[in-house]
Parts: sequence; structure tokens; C-alpha cells
Amino acid sequence: MTTKVSRQVSGHVVLGTLGVLCVFPIYWLYATSLRAPGDIGSLSPLPWPLSLDNYADAWRTIDLTGMLVNSAVVAVCTAAGQLLVGLFAAYAFTVWRFPGQRLLYLLFVGSWLVPFQVTMLPNYVLLSRLGLLNTIAGVIVPTLCSALGVLLLRQHLAGFPRELLEAAAMDGRSSWATLWTVVVPALRPVLAALGILLVINAWNEYFWPALVLRDNAMVQLGIRSFMGTEGNDWGPLMATAGLACLPVFALYLVLQRHIVNAFVRSGLK
Amino acid sequence: MRVLIQAVTATVTAMALVGCGLGGGEPAPEAAANRVPDLAAGQQVSIVFESYNFGQAGPWTDTFTELIAKFREKHPNITVTAKKPQGNSPNPAADTVSSLQSQLAAGLVPDVAQLGFSDLDFTVNQLRAAPLDDLVGRDAVQANFDGARHPYAKPARTLGDWGGKTYGVPFVFSTPVLFYNADLLKAAGFDPSTPPATWAEVERYALAVREKTGKNGAYVDCLSKIAKDWCFQALVRSAGGRVISEDRTRLTFADPPAVEVVTMAQRMVASGATPKRTQQQAVDAFARGDIAMILESSAVQGTFAKGAKGKWDLRSAPMPAFDGRPAVPTNSGAALFVFAKDPAKQRAAWELIRFLTSEESFTTIATKIGYLPLRTGLVTDPAGLKPWADSNQLIRPNLAQLERMEPWVSMPGTNYLQIRDGMMEAVEDAVYQGKDPAATLKARQDQVSGLLAAGR
Repeated sequence: MTTKVSRQVSGHVVLGTLGVLCVFPIYWLYATSLRAPGDIGSLSPLPWPLSLDNYADAWRTIDLTGMLVNSAVVAVCTAAGQLLVGLFAAYAFTVWRFPGQRLLYLLFVGSWLVPFQVTMLPNYVLLSRLGLLNTIAGVIVPTLCSALGVLLLRQHLAGFPRELLEAAAMDGRSSWATLWTVVVPALRPVLAALGILLVINAWNEYFWPALVLRDNAMVQLGIRSFMGTEGNDWGPLMATAGLACLPVFALYLVLQRHIVNAFVRSGLK
Repeated sequence: MRVLIQAVTATVTAMALVGCGLGGGEPAPEAAANRVPDLAAGQQVSIVFESYNFGQAGPWTDTFTELIAKFREKHPNITVTAKKPQGNSPNPAADTVSSLQSQLAAGLVPDVAQLGFSDLDFTVNQLRAAPLDDLVGRDAVQANFDGARHPYAKPARTLGDWGGKTYGVPFVFSTPVLFYNADLLKAAGFDPSTPPATWAEVERYALAVREKTGKNGAYVDCLSKIAKDWCFQALVRSAGGRVISEDRTRLTFADPPAVEVVTMAQRMVASGATPKRTQQQAVDAFARGDIAMILESSAVQGTFAKGAKGKWDLRSAPMPAFDGRPAVPTNSGAALFVFAKDPAKQRAAWELIRFLTSEESFTTIATKIGYLPLRTGLVTDPAGLKPWADSNQLIRPNLAQLERMEPWVSMPGTNYLQIRDGMMEAVEDAVYQGKDPAATLKARQDQVSGLLAAGR
């Protein structure tokens, strides 16, 4: 009995310690953002007196509203596009048999294994030729197909009862109607979970937007507006970083169950 | 007749030799026809200006935006699109060269770009910046340096030169300055009005500060890869050496003067005079008042002033020397280069450079951002920057060092960054990881010397 209790206690201590270690950088981010500008270098664990000056400074110095809107547009459009492409591809791979199907599917899966650094430059040159450099569309378009989305949805659709598809065909429904009236309603939990995961992934993306956009038009890039050769302006930098984290935190609070579900389904984390 | 033929032959030969550039030491004056023509009245031109100053919010972006607006008022026919370098480094100044490279790959190049002096060789020989002497004539370039009232400081005029021609007009610069916390020096028993002038004194002061106040002594921000090599070059030059031979064909950073510098720095770390910190940690700790002295770029002065405000007494002193030898500061900073290919854009680019390096612009930049003007006469001009300079005593060492600084020598060839980083990694390994200075520097010099030849 004692051993069981002590194991439970030690387990909780380890988990608690790890939890604190994980949360501490986020706490420090908000603590620093709430310090008075004159105390910004302070190492005191509790910021006092509290001040919103850094948030006001960030808001005054950069176009935070525009950046947040742009980031939201990129995250939502990217996720929606990836979901749609994933759904169509997975549906096609599951419902029909066609020559080269296996090869095509392997190509989709294989594209997941190609490092971003390999595709980065060709995509950049293509965007340049299309005149999409330094545009929000340029950030979204090359990322509209997610191999992860195709892979996950195809796995789920593989287990979809074929009887339902056959019954829909016997009812005289077209493939298009079957997709939207039979398949999608049945896959709603999966699509919701995957959609959340894709939004979070797109929101957290830094490298690709940084390559395409040069004017710090998204909040993830706006953070670096406070870094430079003359030193870093930690106060507004932390305030902007804090604001950039808020939408994901809010999403997590509201859709906690779905997000955990999404991670479990994707086999990640 | 024979004499006439000989005379004609000699004349033709001489003319041919002159035409081939073999005619003597002085460069032949270039024909005016080669110059880019002035813009015709009402001729509309659009150019792109790429500067890392647009990557930092606040006074940097605001001041340069204001300057571009003023330029537009003076040149209504020239439209300037200002951009920051493309890339994903937190510090936009780190993206300048890679930004140009990626844009070259995509066939888009800015017409004017602000690039660092350490990239000069690469900028001229690989990125193919246009020689300003050829574009607008040497006289026009020199006339711009002379200015309307205040000429450029003499050592600054040639910082953007390559092979006898001016490619870049120096724009911003900084030198290594010893910033110190006067309160901590006082607490350690020293007179803060006489800061250390030699490295031996720095070490002595630093150990005393550590012993008597418990704070850290001195940090030298010249000894890590992230600090690049501009300040390390200053230390090695102060010790009587160079990191590369004067003809830039042989690396010399394993020679005794460089070894002496690294050994001194390693000893300071081992004795506790220097804390083992990263560049960012040291800058923040000094701004917080936790380190007594830091040898740092004068460009970081604003960060220190903000940290010290109302809390401790920030002062500055010239870069310390090695015993019996004069300190040789080198410069960090950047120049403005033209990459435009179209003659009209080239002319517009030159007009922008002239405006940005004018007395008026330097005055605006100094008062709003704090950069020291390269037209140093402005700081003694009551109608110029004298009031500003009088209220900014911290700039004095930087200003004094400008008159005796030596250029930051860029590494040659396409592998210049690997050579520079390789050298600084070896310095870092010796200073902070305790490796043998002579052996570590020698091994790395042998290793990267191959890159020197391969990159030519």
C-alpha cells in the first residue's frame, strides 16, 4: 500500500516538475511583457508593478491588428485548403481503382519525406514568376496540399463501410453527392480534429512566411520587428509574442477535447 | 617616310596600350559617354531600396520612411520602394547578402542596397555591385564625400573602395567601445573618471569588481562566432598582427599576435574576470547592471542607455590597448551599393545615395536613431549636431576612434563566411572551452586555408 502511494506521489512530483518546466517559459514571456519598461531586465519572478505599457508600445509601433488578421487568414485558408485537397485525394484513392493508383499514393506519402529545404527554392522561384512574392496568397498557395492530411484521411476512409457507398450509388447519387451527403457527415469528427491540427500547424509556421513575406505582415514575423543590430526591445517583443500565442491558447481552451483527439488520431506527440 | 611610319606606329601602339589599360599607374579618366545620363525633366523612375533598417520597428523604420518621403519631395520623378532584406533571421542585418542572392536567383535585385563591410569582396566580385566611379564619375563620387559643408572623415571615405574604385558609399559605422558601469567601478575602489586603458588594467579592475561587489567584471564581445570578426580583428591589430595577410592571400590568425589575444581572453575567463556568457546574455546582463565593463559595438549604446536610465551610471571609454602598443579600432557598419542595371535607375539610385549621405540626412539619422554621422564636422557645427553631441557624451570615444580606425578586412572568395566562422569558432573554443589557443588556431587555420584557395 505504502509502495503504491509513494509511487503515485513520486509520479505526480515528476509530472508536476515537468509541467512547471514546460509552462515556465510561457509564464516568463507574459511576466516580462507585463513588467514596467524600466524593469524589463529584472529577474524578479513576479513582475511588479504590473504595466500594460509594452502592449501599448507594440500596438503603437507595429500594425498588430493587420498582422493578426493576416495570420488568421493564412492559418484558416491553409488549413481549409489542405483539408479540402486531403478529402478529395483520400476519396479518390479509396473509392476508385485506377492505373498507377498505388504509385500516385506513394508519391503523396513520399512528398511528406522530402525536406522543406529541398522544395523551398523551387517554390520561391515559381512564386517569383507568378508574381506572388510578398503576398499572403504566396504564403498559402504552395502549402495547400498536405501529405499528412491525405494520409490520415485515406486511412480513415479505408475503414469506411463500402456498403454505404454502394447504397448511395444504388440510390442514384453521383460521386460528388455521395462525398458531401454520405462521406463528409460520417467523417465530421475526423475532419474537425484534423482541421484543428492543421490550423495550429499553419499558425505556428515561421520559416516559409519569413521567406515569402519581407514586410513582417504576419504576427509571427512581426515579433522580429523588435530585434536588430542595436539590441532587442524585449518589452514590446514579449508583448507581441504573447499576443501571437493567445489565439492558439484560446482554441485549446474551447476545443480541448478535439485537439487531444486530433493528436491521438494523427499519432503525433 | 620611315620616320613618319615609326612615329605613327608608336602613336598607335601607345594608344592601344592605353586603351587596354596598360598605360601606367594612374587610372585613365573614363569617357563622359560611359556615365549614366542625368534624368530628363519629368522622366519617371521607380527604384527599390533594400535596407535592414526597415526590419526594425520604431525609430529605425520611422526615420528612414521620413527620409524617403523627403527625398520624394526633392525628386518627385523618382519613386522609391523601401524594403527590408528577405529572410528569416531574427536580426534583419544578418539577411542582407542571402536576400540579394535569393533575389538574384529569382531575377529580382534591389537597385540600392545597404550591405556590411565584411561582405565587400563578395558584394563586388560575386554580387556584382556597380562601380560608382564608372557610373557617375570619380569626381562626382569625391564631391559627394566632400559634401556641401562637412566632408566625410578621411578614414571613412575609402571603406567602400575595391581595386581603386568606389563601389559603396559608407553610411553607418561603429567602433568597439568600452562601456562601463561607473557605480560598480566606484564600489570596487576605482575612480570611474579614469577607466582602464589597457587590457591588463581591465583584468585587474574586473577581478576587483568581482571580489568586492560580487558582480561580473568584464565581457569582451569579440570572441564568439555570433560576434563575427570585426572586433576580433581590432584586438589582433592592436596586438600587432592581422587575421589575413595584407595582400589577402594567406590566413594569419594563428600567428603569435592572434594567439596572444586569445590567450589573454582565455586567462580572463579562467580567472573569473570574464563571465562565461553568450553575447545576448552579456548584453542583457550589462544593461541590467550585472557586469561592470563590456567591449561592445557603439551601435548598442541605446540598449545600454535604456537599461541604465535612473538605475546606474553608464559611461564609455576608448577600446583598451595592449601594454606599450596603441589600440587599433576597426569599424563595423555598412555602405550603400548600386545594383541597378538600367541607366535611368542607376542615376536615380545615385541621387538616393547622395541624399541619404547628405548633411541633412546624417543630421536626421543622428538625432532620431543615434548613429554617429560620418561627416564628423557636423558634431562641432552649432547649426548641425553640436547641441546633440554636447548632450551625448557617450559618443565621444566612438568619434575619436573614427579618426584612427582601420578597415574591417573582408575575407576573400566565395567561401568567405565559412572562413570567418571557422576562425571565430576556433577562437570561441579556446576562450570559452579552454582549448589550447596556439594549437586550436593553427589547426583551424590549416583547415580553412583550403577554402581560401578554392573560393577564388
